[in-house]
Amino acid sequence: MTTIGLSHYLVLGAVLFLIGLFGALTRRNIIGILMSIELMFNAANINLAAFNHHLHPGGVAGMTTALFVITVAAAEVVVGLALVLAIYRNSATAYVEDFHLLKG
Amino acid sequence: MLETIAFYSMAAVAVAGALLVVTLRNTVHSALALGLSLAGVAGVFACLSADFLFAAQLLIYVGGIAILIVFVVMLLGRTTDLHNRQVNELWGAALLVCAITGAGLWRLTSFFGAGTGDTPHAAQTRAIGLLMLGEYAVPFELISLVLLAALLGAVFFSRKEI
Repeated sequence: MTTIGLSHYLVLGAVLFLIGLFGALTRRNIIGILMSIELMFNAANINLAAFNHHLHPGGVAGMTTALFVITVAAAEVVVGLALVLAIYRNSATAYVEDFHLLKG
Repeated sequence: MLETIAFYSMAAVAVAGALLVVTLRNTVHSALALGLSLAGVAGVFACLSADFLFAAQLLIYVGGIAILIVFVVMLLGRTTDLHNRQVNELWGAALLVCAITGAGLWRLTSFFGAGTGDTPHAAQTRAIGLLMLGEYAVPFELISLVLLAALLGAVFFSRKEI
């Protein structure tokens, strides 16, 4: 068995990102889309931490950036879920193809 | 050897949870699988010896965001949703987009070899704190402003009479 290197983490990040991308493109439920976006954020965080660990050992800049990403993701999901609740209260649906208020 | 086992098991948990998130029909189960996947990512951070990131991931993502999503999923939706299709009819095109993106990411990944291999495991919490209050002080203050704006926005949008 080979030792775990940088490319293993990069492939894992790519796989998670692709799963999240597929979910964001195909889910009908808006909460499913939000969850898929969270998966993509996590893939980016894995890449940041892996580059930090393997290309700049001893430094913490990549991990600090990942912490900022986590914070922004938390803010995004809070506002997003509040918007989902407001939309649901007005249109009583959670499916994105029914969100056509601006279509006229 | 131990690191290899830890990495593969945590990666399997993360990928399996992510697959369940995008494929399950019941949104509540989907949200619970999201928590599982986020916990797996936390394990991957532990494999990278990122101790503070591991704790932050567990506290913020698994303990905060996943629970919040479960709450909102239970607030909205009807029982008829369980019989509806949860995937739109363009999944073939989405698969194509994912394949092309995956090919590009694979080419990018092949630039980087195995990396440096063994690196020393050291505690990083102190260094992260010093960096945040030193070199990264301005982004640190700005992110608190973003959090304040998100708080106000959430309160504003979830009022009754909007």
